[in-house]
Amino acid sequence: MTATMGDPAAGAGPVEPWDGERGPAQKPEEPSLSAGEWLGRNLFSSPVNSLLTVVFSLLVLLAVRGLLNFTFSEERTWRAVKTNMRFLFTHAYPQDQYARIWVCVGAIAVLSGLSVGLLARAGRGISMKKLSMNLMATGGVIALGIVLREPSAIVDDEGVALHRDASAAGGDSFVGWLDANAFAVLVVLVLANVALAVWFHLQGTYLRGGPEPRTAHGALVLVSVGVLIVQQYATGEVVRESFADAMSDRAWWWLAAALLAGAGAALWLGLGDARRRNTFVPAMYVFFVGAGVMVLSAWVYPWGHYGFLEGEFINEPGRTVAMTTKLPWTVMLVLLVATFELGRVLRAAGAGPKLRVPLNLLWVLTPFVLYWAVLRDPDLDWDHVLSTDLPMAVFFAAFGGLVVWFLAHPRIGEAGRVIAVVLVAVAALNWVAAYFGWYPMLQKARISFLLLAVVALLAHNFAGDRAQRMKLVAVWVATMAVFHWLVTLVNSPSTVDTPTDALIGGFGITLIVAVFTLLLAFPMGVLLALARTSKLPIFRVLSTAYIEVFRGVPLITVLFFFTLIFNLFLPDNMTLVDIAGATIGFSLFSAAYLAENVRGGLQAVRRGQYEASDAVGFTTVQRTLFIVLPQALRVSIPPLVGQVIATFKETSLLAIVGIFDFLRIADKVISAQSEFLGVKREGLLFVSFIYWIFAYNMSKHSQRLEKRLGVGER
Amino acid sequence: MSVSDATTALTEELAARDDMIVCEGVNKWFGDFQALDGITAVIKEREVVVVLGPSGSGKSTWIRCINRLEAHQEGRIVIDGVELTNDLRNIEKIRSEVGMVFQQFNLFPHLTVLDNIMLAPIWVRKKPKGEAEELARSLLERVGIPEQAEKYPGQLSGGQQQRVAIARALAMEPRIMLFDEPTSALDPEMIKEVLDVMKELATSGMTMMVVTHEMGFAREVADRVIFMEDGQIVETGTPEHFFTNPQEERTKLFLSQIL
Amino acid sequence: MSNTDQATLAATQSQRPPFYRDVTVVKWLAQVFTLLLVVFALFFLTTQALENLDRQGIEIKYDFLSIGLGSDLREGIDTDPDTAGRALWAGAVNTLRIAAGGIVAATILGVLIGVGRLSSNWIVSRMCSVFIETVRNIPLLVQIVFIWALVATFPDVELDQGPINGLLHVSNKGVSVPRVHIDDGFYQWLIFIAAGWLVGSFVKRRQERRHDATGRDTYPVLSFLAVLAVFGAVGWVAHPIFGWVGAIFDFIGDGFSSLTPVIVQVVLSLAALAAAAWWIRRFLARLRTPAGLMKLTDDDKFRIIFAGVGALAVIAFVLVGWPGLSSWIINSGTDLLGVIADKFGDGRTGRPIDIKAPDVEQVGRFPNPGPAGLNLTQGGAAVFFGVVLYTASFIAEIVRGGILAVPKGQTEAAQAVGLRRVTMLRRVILPQAFRVILPPLGNQYLNLTKNTSLAIAVGYSDFVQVGQIVYNQTGKTLEVISLWMLFYLACSLTISVVVNFFNIRMKIVER
Ligand SMILES: Nc1ncnc2c1ncn2[C@@H]1O[C@H](COP(=O)(O)OP(=O)(O)OP(=O)(O)O)[C@@H](O)[C@H]1O
Ligand SMILES: [Mg+2]
Repeated sequence: MTATMGDPAAGAGPVEPWDGERGPAQKPEEPSLSAGEWLGRNLFSSPVNSLLTVVFSLLVLLAVRGLLNFTFSEERTWRAVKTNMRFLFTHAYPQDQYARIWVCVGAIAVLSGLSVGLLARAGRGISMKKLSMNLMATGGVIALGIVLREPSAIVDDEGVALHRDASAAGGDSFVGWLDANAFAVLVVLVLANVALAVWFHLQGTYLRGGPEPRTAHGALVLVSVGVLIVQQYATGEVVRESFADAMSDRAWWWLAAALLAGAGAALWLGLGDARRRNTFVPAMYVFFVGAGVMVLSAWVYPWGHYGFLEGEFINEPGRTVAMTTKLPWTVMLVLLVATFELGRVLRAAGAGPKLRVPLNLLWVLTPFVLYWAVLRDPDLDWDHVLSTDLPMAVFFAAFGGLVVWFLAHPRIGEAGRVIAVVLVAVAALNWVAAYFGWYPMLQKARISFLLLAVVALLAHNFAGDRAQRMKLVAVWVATMAVFHWLVTLVNSPSTVDTPTDALIGGFGITLIVAVFTLLLAFPMGVLLALARTSKLPIFRVLSTAYIEVFRGVPLITVLFFFTLIFNLFLPDNMTLVDIAGATIGFSLFSAAYLAENVRGGLQAVRRGQYEASDAVGFTTVQRTLFIVLPQALRVSIPPLVGQVIATFKETSLLAIVGIFDFLRIADKVISAQSEFLGVKREGLLFVSFIYWIFAYNMSKHSQRLEKRLGVGER
Repeated sequence: MSVSDATTALTEELAARDDMIVCEGVNKWFGDFQALDGITAVIKEREVVVVLGPSGSGKSTWIRCINRLEAHQEGRIVIDGVELTNDLRNIEKIRSEVGMVFQQFNLFPHLTVLDNIMLAPIWVRKKPKGEAEELARSLLERVGIPEQAEKYPGQLSGGQQQRVAIARALAMEPRIMLFDEPTSALDPEMIKEVLDVMKELATSGMTMMVVTHEMGFAREVADRVIFMEDGQIVETGTPEHFFTNPQEERTKLFLSQIL
Repeated sequence: MSNTDQATLAATQSQRPPFYRDVTVVKWLAQVFTLLLVVFALFFLTTQALENLDRQGIEIKYDFLSIGLGSDLREGIDTDPDTAGRALWAGAVNTLRIAAGGIVAATILGVLIGVGRLSSNWIVSRMCSVFIETVRNIPLLVQIVFIWALVATFPDVELDQGPINGLLHVSNKGVSVPRVHIDDGFYQWLIFIAAGWLVGSFVKRRQERRHDATGRDTYPVLSFLAVLAVFGAVGWVAHPIFGWVGAIFDFIGDGFSSLTPVIVQVVLSLAALAAAAWWIRRFLARLRTPAGLMKLTDDDKFRIIFAGVGALAVIAFVLVGWPGLSSWIINSGTDLLGVIADKFGDGRTGRPIDIKAPDVEQVGRFPNPGPAGLNLTQGGAAVFFGVVLYTASFIAEIVRGGILAVPKGQTEAAQAVGLRRVTMLRRVILPQAFRVILPPLGNQYLNLTKNTSLAIAVGYSDFVQVGQIVYNQTGKTLEVISLWMLFYLACSLTISVVVNFFNIRMKIVER
């Protein structure tokens, strides 16, 4: 872990937009405290505090021990999770098509690398002090865990733990006595701690005096820990190996702990206090190193090779992981690092601002393309494409382009409005005709007409000179091209054959539903928020009713509605598969919540901004798009991220409506396999852990963002 | 030449010019509180009118009615021959012809100074981008801060922000400028730089209606001073006349308090 | 005055713009168009649904509620309900029970953890934040399922078994604790309590006034509680004297059931008209100035027209849209009054409230938690602890934010004027923190109530799960889903009303 100096150039970049107003005040750096001072101030500042410290330390130790014992117990069948990794992440996506999954992950890695390298503020990164402290702490925690965890149970040839002879349990050894009286002993120890603390406090020596009182106190805490450790040898019904054996069995862990703590200590001692604080490593590099170590270990460490392929369980403990796992992940990491570096180079070349919009557009497009073009591998009917789809796309591009070109003329005046209203009427008529069955029309033509009508209504807001109009036409043509292409893909049957109506399951479907939900819900939420804060009463009432109804009912009832009976509400011969229905349900539900968040942002936009926009003559649309929304959305970023996390977590409800999502596989599928009958908690713990990693990182990121935007401050 | 002679001469000169703002019997209520009470006034082309009055007398309300930030409820307002009614086209026209400067600047904080100024010419006046930028830079030059073009409003001093706000209003090439206490949110040392810009604007022949408490500015630049109280126009006159020889008791009381 | 101020407009006429350029008209056209669009879309969907149902020979009817249900519920006030309606009622009670208990528990836990996070003790604050960050970043459903799987590993039920035998039983069948029974005469006793509340409030106000007048300590809150206690104690023995109250409700119920639907329709229509008239009157009153009624702008006219049209739409709905509404109101009103009358009926002379300890009984081959105690089944425990822990982590953050939101200056100012610590907390800090805390807290209560619906994943018999049983047996999916939504909307509405009530009260305190 070599120290990479934070590059000074990053700090002196272009003017950061809009921060000057809030100018974050630099907190004066406090000098580092010595360990004793720190303890005295944070843990033992008063008798009550000392009591809390002791009680809670013991609680922490108990909790950590419980968790470790649970996780590493010989009675856990972690093999169930390892074996079903593929199931957990993609369910029944065909194995021979698996390259498609990796293409998708690769595309996301490339985009992420580029975006982070190009757009993320380099910031100051992680200081050496923090890094070395974290390393040492991690090493320490691992060491503590090694000691705390109960010794492994002794297993027979089958891997089943040997059980203690019931009559021989207990006995009159010290350990047995401790076990029988553990609770009483702990109470005595805690009381002794308190008494000691009160005594020193009354003497007035606790805070002012030398280190002796605290040393005595610390010793008592250590004794308490010791009791906990000794006691665990007597607990439980299984036969356990000896303490020495246990410690030596955990040699790898000792090594890891020593390496981490050693690296941290080396950093700490190698640098003086000032340098420790003022040397920074970019956070991404720390991440890369961590990920690199993990990928490397996949090649060298015998994690074991498990799998469930074509109905066969693979069970080879002594090997490294499968080539189909380690190779792609290595490629992904290389892609990520390479594109990150590319992004940094581009950023240094000043391409950042120019690439921001295309990159964001790519992000929005990626889910659609990956899902419908890559994962689904549509089987295009070229005759139909050439005879119908293509001509229709060309027609709408050309006709719409003309309309836009004409309506965006600066002096179009009322004629433009008349044309727009006519187009709106045609678009509406198409739908009414669909209802009465007057004339047939492809659904995508109806939607295209509707899009065109909306664009025509808005066009005058974006009128301008020739160049501007050309740009508008180009945007329209591009939109039509992408839209018709995607619709054609959606309409073509898939060549990938899976047993459920969702293409993919497990964590894959969780992510896909979350992403599509947000893409659909976000525009709806913004519109709803605008309507709810509008001065026009009908808009306000409609939007308020929508929001309050959706916020008033549980998500699960909405999901049931959309998966069980929504098809009843659709016209004949139109059906939605469960997964599409669920996504719609999620979107409508999330939109209500997003709307409330955006509303908060809208209310933060000062009235003067509206007045100034009116005074310079903006139309309502222009005012909203150019002035109000950019400010409002910026303020509502933190709550919006919160809503993203909530939506991500809510996707677990897919399990209830019968879709094979992440949770359902862990909860129902694995525990039904003959090999792992009834094994549930392992899978659930794993699922919790993955959800947690994603949600926790997002929320941390949003907190940082909040701090940076100064939103949370009063 | 006596004061009244001067007044007569000015009156005649003004009568020959076009009417820019005509208000007739304008009434406005907020709930049951009457904020404007029968305002009748005419402002001529190239005239600089300063509106004075105690706090709450309805100065802001009046000036905001003139570009429809508030809608008046009775009476008529005609700007440069176009009447302010519910007509969308008229409102658009008047808004692009009347520039307004606010007490709190109201710059758009998420845009650079240059974008603040260019945005309306591009999207409202439909100017090509290059032309708009040229205009914006020349206006920044005119208000004396060409070097601040790339900064964000939050990074400027109050005086600079207000000058940007003036430039933003001017970028629409308005025929009338409204100022609502443009200097009251500023520290004393910044007031002068803003007033200088306004003076320059006045001498260049802009029609201006200014609500301000800067008596020096009123004396020096105004063609006419209008004194309001309780939503009514109490007294109108040239600055000399107004400051040296006010007719109404209420005016005298007001002047004795602030001078 | 210079003559330039003479108006020159008399000659011209102010012109009305054509409608398509009139701001007001365009505004309202857009709104009405949107409204029509929404109405049309809803109409489209409903007719499709009706048509499709018709084709399958299904009718939308709620008579399945009185049809028998073939299966038992796991728990609740009635585990073997006669009808689907009764089953749903038991499910609703289960939902409310877990929501109410959850709200109390989550609040206590959340406040403790929130305060703990602010503790100056490093370990305490660290532990609290680790708890928060862990719990709130894992989906609630995963937690519930996990707790369920964990409870499954608890020891089997046995006859004499603890942790605290006779008070707390924990087993793989769930958790049993003592239960508070509402017994005979409870509702009559409530009348005493209500009276005590009234008298107590009166006494409290008087004591407060005396405190204001004399400055002496008059203990208003204590007096209030004392009065309440006296009334409660007297009522404990004297409540049978209110046996006649039931008859009154019977009488009202009789009167109600003899109403004809037409009368109800007329009353509803008149109410709609009266509401519209009241709104219009208030609206016009706002426009009335001392100088007389202001000229109505077009916008005002549109609003008035809309109020009128709205009233007419309601009348049309009552008379034509759903003629059965009025008989439904009559029937359910009569039923409700009957139930109330029954609660107060004569001869209810028992103890109002009773507490029973949990027991374990062995009826068949295996011992099971008996009916005396309050039993949380495996699913119930999973849902309860799931929602409590999850919500507590959010409440903790809200509490922390609320306390941090009170500026330090407030504490200093309070100390400066010499307030005692308790007074300062009660009068200065808490009111301000509470003002910030209350609205998001209300949201959390709402979320908790809605989240109990996840019970369906672990088979706790809540409203949603029972609903699923019902529609699986009767095929009435649409009806059941509509009941779900109505039930939860009603819950949400109640919670928001309560929270808003306190919110407004807090605002008054603040003034
Ligand atoms: N939106 C509004 N709603 C209700 N009353 C208002 C509103 N705007 C202004 N008023 C009232 O109208 C009266 C005139 O206000 P106005 O802002 O025009 O006064 P002003 O002369 O500009 O005062 P100042 O010198 O303090 O700016 C005041 O009494 C004010 O309270
Ligand atoms: Mg004002």
